[in-house]
Amino acid sequence: MTGFRITDGIDRGTAFQFTCDGESVTAYPGESIAAALMAAGKRQTRVTARRQMPRGLYCGMGVCWECIMIVNGKPAVRACMTPAEPGMKVETQHGVGDPA
Amino acid sequence: MRETDLLVVGAGAAGLSAASEAAKHGLAVTVLDDNLLPGGQYFRRLPTGYHHTHETVFDKERQRANALYATTGQKGITYLNDAVVWESPENGVLAFARGADSGRIRAKLTIIASGAHDRPAPFPGWTLPGVVTAGGLQNLLKGQRVIPGRRAIVAGNGPLVLLVGATLARAGAELREVVEAAPILKRLAGSIADLIAMPKIVRQAVDYRLAIMKSGARLRTGWTVIEARGADELEEVVLAPIDATGKVDRSRARAVKADLLVVGFGLMPSIELVRLLDCKLEWKPLRGGWVPVRGADFETSRPGVLAVGDGAGIGGVEMALREGKLAGVIAAERLGKLSRDQAANLKAPIQAEIAKVETFRRGLERLYAMPPAFLDLLTPETIVCRCEDVTAGELRARQDAGFGSTAALKGTTRTTMGRCQGRNCLRTLSALIAQASGQPIEQVTMPRPRLPARLVTIGDLLQEELPPIEMPKDPHLPRGERVS
Ligand SMILES: Cc1cc2nc3c(=O)[nH]c(=O)nc-3n(C[C@H](O)[C@H](O)[C@H](O)COP(=O)(O)OP(=O)(O)OC[C@H]3O[C@@H](n4cnc5c(N)ncnc54)[C@H](O)[C@@H]3O)c2cc1C
Ligand code: FES
Repeated sequence: MTGFRITDGIDRGTAFQFTCDGESVTAYPGESIAAALMAAGKRQTRVTARRQMPRGLYCGMGVCWECIMIVNGKPAVRACMTPAEPGMKVETQHGVGDPA
Repeated sequence: MRETDLLVVGAGAAGLSAASEAAKHGLAVTVLDDNLLPGGQYFRRLPTGYHHTHETVFDKERQRANALYATTGQKGITYLNDAVVWESPENGVLAFARGADSGRIRAKLTIIASGAHDRPAPFPGWTLPGVVTAGGLQNLLKGQRVIPGRRAIVAGNGPLVLLVGATLARAGAELREVVEAAPILKRLAGSIADLIAMPKIVRQAVDYRLAIMKSGARLRTGWTVIEARGADELEEVVLAPIDATGKVDRSRARAVKADLLVVGFGLMPSIELVRLLDCKLEWKPLRGGWVPVRGADFETSRPGVLAVGDGAGIGGVEMALREGKLAGVIAAERLGKLSRDQAANLKAPIQAEIAKVETFRRGLERLYAMPPAFLDLLTPETIVCRCEDVTAGELRARQDAGFGSTAALKGTTRTTMGRCQGRNCLRTLSALIAQASGQPIEQVTMPRPRLPARLVTIGDLLQEELPPIEMPKDPHLPRGERVS
């Protein structure tokens, strides 16, 4: 496991689950998709269109668009700017995110 | 169309300070910001459902932060979150995308407080998951209390390097190395007289250094990252010494295992809005590059448009807070809520504080100034444009084939045309052109500003209620020539 949550001093409320590429991921109310995934050790969010390179969170502030994923079927959603929700279906985005 | 006395773009330190001060003096203020929560970058807020159980080392700014967040509910202030300002359809009017609430707003006066983003510093492997910016790391800490890796290295140039090193050490990451490119220890004696204008920040920096040392990590100055390696994620980072002209000594390079590399080579002002508004720019490398030209009272070359905070030139949070407050007084005076004397009395103490921050900044700039040396690190395979996957080799080949200008390289490779709108590649592209042509970088033509200033969805824009477009009767006639 690589990433982690700092727990000292913070009560995050009640955890819930969403899925990423079919696997269950834990998140807390208001937590961004990217933060929840990184706390679960998953850092690759997309694979680029032209060279099939892996990418992940880079700017962390919504301006680089490297963290885009397919969320509930909608492509190009920024994982760093979007709160996770219970039952959400998140997928790694390949290229522009056309359905496979 | 909505109307307001004062429109503030950006709910960060600068924007909220401006709004609060202006509203205090009786102006109707509207604040637009593209984040869900107020605070901007420095005062990034935890999800509202998270509760503090006790103070930790990460809560030192809570008082100032809470005061700033509270201004969004202050009398006279309308705060619209999740609102992306993307266009200025006419003088004094800005258009914003906000789902079903998208629209336009007309203001008597506008303050742009758009903040900054990390400067791209490409090197082989910088696109690997696990390589994040210094700003991004701080945002994850402040906004999420999440650290995106465990075995960590920090590399870069500027005050955020020590800060991020301390963050990781205090968060309990296995911090390995903190490397600062500038020889700051050697330069300290020459800067300290200016730096102590802000004694609190100097004390903080000492604490950061202690936290890094205590963690057992190595702090090297005059070193830089030259490569990140890994298959699908970061596995190893290569570091090497660098001299004051930016030359890397590869013979002394060291590879260190790591799963997190934080890079911070300084910040760049977010100038897309001032460019869209056709404000004149000037090149100030020590303030992050292109910044809007500002006259007395923060006015840009476009009358009625003021620019403050990091978006007007990197000055850090203490500068942003004070410039914002001063801009609030200026706005109240200009719109008749304060007499000249009243305004002058309010301005004087803020200006005195700004002068102190300026002195501090001069010291900081002398301490950290480095020529940008990343071009030597680029291999033919190094990605320059992350969105469109364009490599340095591809760009150099086009340059050799005679495509020398920004427009030509853009047109033939799509560099700067992806989702990040050039934020991660334009500076590198300009540097490559400058290198090939021998021009200084500031003489390299910038691409024309394009809509939208920040990405918005067509879906949002369709929500906007606009008067029907007046079409020419004969669709073949050019627009504007109407037959009656
Ligand atoms: C990611 C990041 C993290 C940082 N973390 C630290 C830190 O931990 N410590 C430190 O000392 N310094 C930090 N800095 C430096 C920081 O920029 C300043 O200290 C401070 O935040 C500047 O305040 P500001 O109000 O000028 O800008 P900001 O705080 O950046 O606020 C600007 C706001 O304007 C919004 N905005 C911009 N354009 C538009 C638009 N078109 N439409 C709508 N909204 C828009 C932005 O999203 C942002 O919310 C960080 C910088 C960055 C980029
Ligand atoms: S990490 Fe840059 S947009 Fe999400």
